[in-house]
Amino acid sequence: METESRKKALHYFFDKVVGPLGFKFTPDVELMDFLLEQEVVLEGKHGIPFCPCQPLRHDRARDMQIVCPCIPFHREHFDAIKRCWCGLFVHKDVMDPDSLPQLPPKDVGLE
Amino acid sequence: MSDKFIRAISTDEIAPGGMKSVELDGREVVICNCGGTYYAIQRRCGHMNAPLEMGTLEGKFVTCPMHCAQFDVTTGQALSGPVPADLGKESLSPVLAAYMQHVSALMKDIRTESICTYETKVEAGWVHVAA
Repeated sequence: METESRKKALHYFFDKVVGPLGFKFTPDVELMDFLLEQEVVLEGKHGIPFCPCQPLRHDRARDMQIVCPCIPFHREHFDAIKRCWCGLFVHKDVMDPDSLPQLPPKDVGLE
Repeated sequence: MSDKFIRAISTDEIAPGGMKSVELDGREVVICNCGGTYYAIQRRCGHMNAPLEMGTLEGKFVTCPMHCAQFDVTTGQALSGPVPADLGKESLSPVLAAYMQHVSALMKDIRTESICTYETKVEAGWVHVAA
């Protein structure tokens, strides 16, 4: 598989999913490119584009909750920090993604 | 650019986002309507030969109905291989479990190849595919 083509395809598919959820791709193009590339690598290895920032637990039910875009499974958490865990997606109103800290759920009053 | 084209289907036979299979001079071809632009691809998936018109077309990407391998219909390029199946927690009979294990072992080494594309042109309400 050719990485660049797959990255473009993932971008196309993900964009259709995250838009209606109130998210967009991070404006940090370099980060976006890097994360998509990692997902292509993970997809090549596992057949599924898992989040590159989350550990696989080899428990199908839990692992399916980190298939990118995993926003629906962690909506409350990501809405609180205005980004997804790895930062590939941010809330539509975010212009400066570097200003968003990566806070775990317990630090935003969840759990 | 090919100078010989075969009349395949009428443009109103496929709605945008749809696909239809046709046989042209012995070739199995799927014609895809990507928002009014028509592309022709080989009918058989580059993974395990499933009929691609039974899959889904999203933008310029077709997804195979069998194992969800994806291809770019404009270039035929294979974009992803099969998605691993989830057999869930259902217990399979020993015979079926052994069969599934055998099939998995056979499938492990199957590569997903890119598929053929064919030039198209639209004339007088008909989609023509290069011979």
